[in-house]
This record gives sequence, C-alpha cells and structure tokens, in this order.
Amino acid sequence: MALEKIVRKIPSSSWEITSEKLIDIVLNSPDAKKMPSGLAKTILYYWQRDQLATEIGLQRLLEASVMIDPDKTIAVLKELGFEELVTVLESS
Amino acid sequence: MVEFGIEFVPRDLYWKTTFYAIQAEKNGFNTLWITDHFNNRNVYVSLAIVSAYTEKIKFGPGVTNPYMAHPIVTAQAVSTLNEIAPGRVVCGLGVGDRTTLEMVNLKPSKPLATIRESVRIIRAITSGENLKMEGKIFSISGAKLNFKTTSGIPIFVGAQGPKMLALAAEVGDGILINASHPNDIEKAIEFINIGVDKASKRLTDVEIAAYTSFCVAKDQKKAEKAVVPVVAYIVAGCPESILQKHNISMDTATKIRQAIIQSKWKEAFSQITDEMIEAFSICGSPEIVTEKISKLIRVGTTQLVAGSPIGPNIRKSINMIAAEVFPHFREKEDKQYA
Repeated sequence: MALEKIVRKIPSSSWEITSEKLIDIVLNSPDAKKMPSGLAKTILYYWQRDQLATEIGLQRLLEASVMIDPDKTIAVLKELGFEELVTVLESS
Repeated sequence: MVEFGIEFVPRDLYWKTTFYAIQAEKNGFNTLWITDHFNNRNVYVSLAIVSAYTEKIKFGPGVTNPYMAHPIVTAQAVSTLNEIAPGRVVCGLGVGDRTTLEMVNLKPSKPLATIRESVRIIRAITSGENLKMEGKIFSISGAKLNFKTTSGIPIFVGAQGPKMLALAAEVGDGILINASHPNDIEKAIEFINIGVDKASKRLTDVEIAAYTSFCVAKDQKKAEKAVVPVVAYIVAGCPESILQKHNISMDTATKIRQAIIQSKWKEAFSQITDEMIEAFSICGSPEIVTEKISKLIRVGTTQLVAGSPIGPNIRKSINMIAAEVFPHFREKEDKQYA
C-alpha cells in the first residue's frame, strides 16, 4: 500500500507525537546515512515550513524511517497503537 | 542585551546540521557558528545549505583559520554567503585547532601578526576594496573581488591568551573567548579592555562572546558523559597559562593531545576529570546551566555560544534550552527594558 494511504490511517490527533518519534528515529539512527539526499532535502523543506506533523510531512518521515530503521519504526508504531498500520507495513 | 549563539560541527551528515540549524532559528537563537576543520564537511558548503533553509538567524564560520585557508579565500567565501543571505553573515577567525593543524604539519607561527593581517585583508576585501599590502606574513600586490560586496560583515576573533584577547578587541567587532568558566571570562575582559583602549573604542563597541562547550540534559551523568570528548580536545589545545589556572599540568594536556592525534580515544577521554569538565564546559541540568550562564553574563558576556556537544540528544537539548533556559534571561530583559 502506498505511504499516502498508510498515513491516512493515522488520526490527526496523533500526527504531532508520530512526527516527533519518527524524527527521533531519523536523526539518531546509526544508519542515518542511508537517507537519500533528495528525500533529506524534502524533509528539510517541510521542517522549515512546520509541516512535518502534517499528512504530507508524515509520509516523507515514514518513508525515511522505514528506509533507515524499519524495526524501530515498527516498534514506534506499535507503541502508538497503530497495529493495523504495522500489519500493512510488514506485508508491503 | 545578551544574545544566544549555537555551534554545530559538520562531522554530522549535512542534512542533520541543517535540520538543527532550522530548529535553532525556530527556537530563537541569534547566531549559528559552524566549525572549520579539514577532516569534517566543508564549513562554507555547510553554511550555504543552512542559508537556503533559514531566514533570519545570523551565521558564519566559527572559527576558520588563516593557516589552512588564506584570508583572501575566507573573504571571498563570506562575501559569497553574504550575497545569498544579506546582512546575516558573520566571520569567526582564529589561529585554529592545534591538534588538526598538526595532522597536516602546519604550525600556527606568529599568530598575532597573522591574525592582525588576516582581519585587515578580510575587512578590506569584503568591503570591496582593491587591496595592496606588504605585511610581515601576507603580501598582496593588488586584489579585489569581481563581484559587488556589501560592507559590514562583522569579524569575530577567537582568543584565549592575553595578547590575542587584546588584539581581538583592538581589530575585531567581537571576541569569541574559548572559555566556559566565569573566572576565565572575567580575566579575559581585563585584556579586552587593553585592546579597546588601544583602538580608542569602548568596551560596549565589541561583542564579548563566551564560546562554551555546552551540554544540557535532564540527567547530569548523561550530560557529563556527552561532554567528555569535547573537553578532551579543549584541554589538548589549551595554552599553558590557562591550564595552570585550573591546576592542569602541561604534561597531562600533551598526553591527551598525543592520544587524540593517534586516534586512541579511550586513552584520551579516560584522562578527563570532573575538574576539567567544570573548568571547560557548561554542563548539567537546565537549572545548573542557567545558573552558570547567569554567572557568565554577570562578568560581562554579551553572547553565550552553546558549543558542541550541546547535549546527548541535540534536538531535545535545543528544545530544552529554548523552553527552560531562555525564559530566565529573556523575561528578565523584557522586564528590564519594559
């Protein structure tokens, strides 16, 4: 399933906390260097405009965190109670 | 009115440094300094990308040195940055980090004359002058940039020893004092006064920045652990006079420096004591660092630079500074100036 559809399953009330946790994964992973430069620049663009806790910002953060640290991403989504989302991600 | 600066080391991936720079701007830091070491990512490339993603924070090399980069190249670089972000560029200049200079067999010889002439060159070239000079160190037979520059890029001189502090105050717009302890800043201001007198300036004409090694975290132990590598570099490159003031032997500093040069990190870091952390960093919980910053301001600091490592988790520490440290100073100022 496309990231757009996955992110739509996150309630807007949880966008802020999800964004915070995905940012932490992206910034602090030892595999942060796996981030493609183009995606990094897109994330910086949304960060500058305070849009990382929006649907579009979360799509790019999720794309990055799955690429950099899929296990931690799954763990964070489980912790936030997004079991359905985890199932979709694991099967994709 | 005290300003707050923040320093990033481009050892990190470029997009991380840029992410933190955007965060620093959002959180109200006034100035962003990026260090210049040949073995990290290039300072001007890093600053150029930061400039593209920020709108108001001032920024510049903190500090570059005239041994690795000829001052004419520095003038060219900061002038180009000033075209990208007019009025936001500052230039930090110093003798450089002895440890990295030694790696390429560069010796910071005649530092006073080198810095004096470098400031003259950078100021002239960034102001669009056609410069001819015959100095003790640099000889320029006629140099001018082929593009228009706007004058007024403030030059900050990094200083620690008495003569360099006086020179920094004499020729610079600001002094970046490599110190975190109020006694060191207080002593530094004595020499800064000599420099401003010589240039017929007032003390208030120069910005006095405490360029600190800074580390804030809720957990004191975590903060101390994160600051150790930076303190090791500071002790390794520290002048003997400063070491003596803090009862640290030159022999210990030499051992730490040798260990760093040989990449024996464990050996270098194991020699860092609590006293060294106290002398050369602002480290601890938000309450502790607030108290330490207050002391620095009381002795005359006008800009507090939160230097590397900032915290065990940089993003959280930047937020912590904005939420728990800034209000102590900014509210006070608001009341004071209301």
